[in-house]
Amino acid sequence: MKPQKSAAPKAASEIQLIARAQQGNEEAFAALFEAHKRRVYSLCLRMTENTAEAEDLTQEAFLQLFRKISTFRGESAFSTWLHRLAVNVVLMRLRKKGLQQVSLDDVDTSQDEPVKRDYGDDDRRLTRSVDRIGLERAIAELPQGYRTVFVLHDIEGYEHNEIAEIMQCSVGNSKSQLHKARMRLREWLRQKQSKEPSGATVPMDQALGER
Amino acid sequence: MEEERYEQTTACIRFDAELMAYLEGEGRPFVAAHARECEFCRVILADLEHIRTTARRLPLEEPSPAVWANIRAVLAREGRFREKVSDWRWVWQGQFLPHPAAVGALACLVILGSFLTMPPASLQREAFSDFVSSPRKTAAAPVPATREDSDLARMTEELELTYRANEKFLAPETKATYEKSLVSLDTSIRECQDSLRQEPDNTLAHDYLLTAYTRKAEVLASALEFGGR
Repeated sequence: MKPQKSAAPKAASEIQLIARAQQGNEEAFAALFEAHKRRVYSLCLRMTENTAEAEDLTQEAFLQLFRKISTFRGESAFSTWLHRLAVNVVLMRLRKKGLQQVSLDDVDTSQDEPVKRDYGDDDRRLTRSVDRIGLERAIAELPQGYRTVFVLHDIEGYEHNEIAEIMQCSVGNSKSQLHKARMRLREWLRQKQSKEPSGATVPMDQALGER
Repeated sequence: MEEERYEQTTACIRFDAELMAYLEGEGRPFVAAHARECEFCRVILADLEHIRTTARRLPLEEPSPAVWANIRAVLAREGRFREKVSDWRWVWQGQFLPHPAAVGALACLVILGSFLTMPPASLQREAFSDFVSSPRKTAAAPVPATREDSDLARMTEELELTYRANEKFLAPETKATYEKSLVSLDTSIRECQDSLRQEPDNTLAHDYLLTAYTRKAEVLASALEFGGR
């Protein structure tokens, strides 16, 4: 995972917070939660597309973290440790639910067909219509396996070798699934764009209300 | 013309084959070169790069306050807090500070609290009780069995006072939903307290009491968050 930009004082204060949390300081637990809750929750939400489940998983990830915090020795960045733990919590839940799509070893040939090229007009690039709401919707439409790789790589910044380790698949498989995920997103967004009048956008509150 | 069209298609096939590697940062100069010549492939490349860029800029989402309330309750139950902070601190940490209504109500409560601690206390407390309570006031008489119960009861009571001062900001149907939950939880709290009065060592009743207090605190926190928006 690519390291997050953070100022040295922030890192130092986090080390102090961790040390205080290791001593059972409630305020330190709260501050650590406050600092990382949005990233962990967003990860859980994008991987499950369910707010209640995402909150439950966020809770589970932080509880596991706080229970293990006395074992944290600082070999890796705290945020890396936490987010890896959160990913594992989510994947464990998905596997328990029997979602075989989480496995990347299933061969999916649906995107092996040639890329569609019926949009040759530069003016019809997705850049005109894809905003974050549109992309969030498209991500929600992805099969679980594609979505997992896309979220981990393109949103969370994991490298393919890390995804391969997490998902227990090959690096090549991770790359291939990511490419298929992007192509499927493009296709979904293209179809959406072709159905909407030129220049039409979905109001943000309406789009948010549909989640 | 046919020859030219065939050549272009072959190049597009090669573009497709090398596109994934190109997007992974591998040196594939053919992809960029072909995209400059072929309008169809140029759009594909632009789309995929735009999706990748937009994905990196997706904003982070905010979990509800109930998540920390739950985590805190579990950690407290497990006895992981060896250094406690005052009951108010966690309320202030990020959850209510951004909401002027809640903050204003809390400030008023602090002032009122100071006022009420002056004698004659009994008379003024009665007046205060009338001020903050409505016919639906749900606070159950606290009969804490342990320090943990006592802390939770006090924290819940403080939250409820804040909620009562802010309930007017809630839409009637939203308020009705919260009230229904609060009445139900207060009933549970009273039942547990009655059981504990008769059997102080009833661990099941004690666990239920803690759970009821925790849930009530979550409901109140959620209502305050909702009302502060």
